[in-house]
Amino acid sequence: MILHKSIVRKIQPVFWVTLLLMIVFNFFSSRFLSLHNIINLFQQGAVLLIVAAASTLVILSEGLDLSLGSVLTLAGITSVMSVNSGAPVSVAIGIGILTGLLCGAITGTLISIFNMQPFIATLGIQGVYYGISLVLTDSVAILTKNKTFIFFGSRIGYLPMAALIGVGTFLLILYIFHNTPFGRYIVAIGGNESGTRLSGVNTRFWKWFLYTFAGGVTGFAGVLLASRLEAADPIVGVGWEFDAIAATILGGTSFQKGKGGVAGTALGVLLITVVRNGLNVIRTPSILQPALIGTILIIAIVIQVGLSMRSTQKEGKNRP
Amino acid sequence: MMNKKSILSTMDPNTVSGVGRVFALLLICVAMGFVSPVFFTARNISLIITNASIMAILGVGLTITVITCGPDLSVGSILTITAVVAVIMVKANFHFLVSFAVALLMGTALGFLNGVLVTKVGLPSFISTYGLQWALFGFAYVILKGYVIYNFDADFRFIGNGYLIGPISMPIVVMVIVVFLGWFILRKTTIGRMFYATGANRDAARMSGIDTGKAILLAFSISGFLSALAGIVLVARINACQADIGKNLLLPSLATVYMGGTRATGGQGGVFGTLVGAVIMTVVENGMNLLGVPSVWRNAIIGTLIILTVLANIAVSKQLEKAGSKM
Repeated sequence: MILHKSIVRKIQPVFWVTLLLMIVFNFFSSRFLSLHNIINLFQQGAVLLIVAAASTLVILSEGLDLSLGSVLTLAGITSVMSVNSGAPVSVAIGIGILTGLLCGAITGTLISIFNMQPFIATLGIQGVYYGISLVLTDSVAILTKNKTFIFFGSRIGYLPMAALIGVGTFLLILYIFHNTPFGRYIVAIGGNESGTRLSGVNTRFWKWFLYTFAGGVTGFAGVLLASRLEAADPIVGVGWEFDAIAATILGGTSFQKGKGGVAGTALGVLLITVVRNGLNVIRTPSILQPALIGTILIIAIVIQVGLSMRSTQKEGKNRP
Repeated sequence: MMNKKSILSTMDPNTVSGVGRVFALLLICVAMGFVSPVFFTARNISLIITNASIMAILGVGLTITVITCGPDLSVGSILTITAVVAVIMVKANFHFLVSFAVALLMGTALGFLNGVLVTKVGLPSFISTYGLQWALFGFAYVILKGYVIYNFDADFRFIGNGYLIGPISMPIVVMVIVVFLGWFILRKTTIGRMFYATGANRDAARMSGIDTGKAILLAFSISGFLSALAGIVLVARINACQADIGKNLLLPSLATVYMGGTRATGGQGGVFGTLVGAVIMTVVENGMNLLGVPSVWRNAIIGTLIILTVLANIAVSKQLEKAGSKM
């Protein structure tokens, strides 16, 4: 069962809010619910869908990865740089994924081997990865004109390539989460790490593997983003890690005791993408958008967490 | 060898690492003196301490939140929004003291909001404060619309570029007062004991009758207040304000706190360490400038420093625990 009953109950408000927002946006601009814009919506949400799935896995293990935005950036840069220097597209994509894996492996080493707290390790390493991005690009965006490379992020008529790849990757992560020992260990580590270790699971390895996996997945998302934007910008990923965390929380995953799941995160991603896209479609001045989105996300998280806390209180669980 | 160990184990562990930290600072300074001939000039040293003061003021607030519950990751954004409001008000011909008061009040209120998000809503501090910063930077951007506001009155600027006596600049005076008050609150008041107890073990503190919610609200309010204060000093010093003024301050000020030996897991640490950390951090930045390190490397170097210092802290505390158990 992909969506547990308790999660369905938790994410119901998010669902209704998303629906309401869609109606409101459509009221202001009838273009919002046009087929053209809905396809756009999926194109725009594709990358976040992948990053948020990775972030959800990390949060389910009671961890946190604040470096995902910088990994997204760095992987896009290495792949665009290699495709621009004449490497075949498959190699460039591979280099992007490898970059993500390497970044994730370093983060994972700091957290699982050296016992650093996740948010410090990932915040510090975020500075390092952004630093490397700035050094590699000398603070300017690199464009790419390679037709094959940008094909994967493009939209051919009604065929949104990025959206298809994004949804496909998300489903793959969902499958891995529900059908492999790795997925079960994540939840087990989040629920009770020492208990999991005592029952014979090498928690240290699996935690390391989790951050590496999240890095690799985010690296792939970075390639997709660079392909969609036809460029790699050294600051493109700023703040993505928070969108991913917000989508995770809105999707019903709790940051305590491994409760939640990957499937709900898709709804959180939908809400965030609807807000971002809708504000554009109804022509909100671009200068207002960061403040509006930031405020909306905080309020949405507060409502979501507040509601779920009330429901746990009713069940009489976890509260002394 | 034996002798060394016994000295170590008879001394307070915090003193050992504190002395080590000052020693490290001196070592870095001597190295810088060799590398750059202008390093030990009076002008450069006064500049370093003045520059360190902003980091130290932010650092004291961060230290208190790290001790109590978890770092306030919104310090840079609170600094920015309050500084923007202060300069807008002073440009609209309000008395500079009124603009200071409004900025400080606003910083405290935002810090209080952080506290509410943690205690009442139940969000982990590193998620709520990290999230709040995007909204606050957004609002700063809305207010300033990308413009730079510059050229303030001498009255307004005095707190940033004035001098009390000789080479002692106003930022240094503010820093000394803030560090002293921080030390006094943490070490000499019951509030301070509340902070340490809450950070060491929140459940145990609650069960022994400490109002942990109040402690957390207070810690974040102090941090918000100090962020606003640092913002005022900063814009008064550089005589200009723009919407991204605090964007690059979070990582270095966090590094400052951990370099100062405040334990990332909470419940341990102090403001004097943070002061030393702020000076180390500034010497490193000053060194990067003197050596002509390109500014694109800055983030990478500071990020690496954070990780290395936290790793060193973990190693030192393990070592001390071993020494303690052998006693």
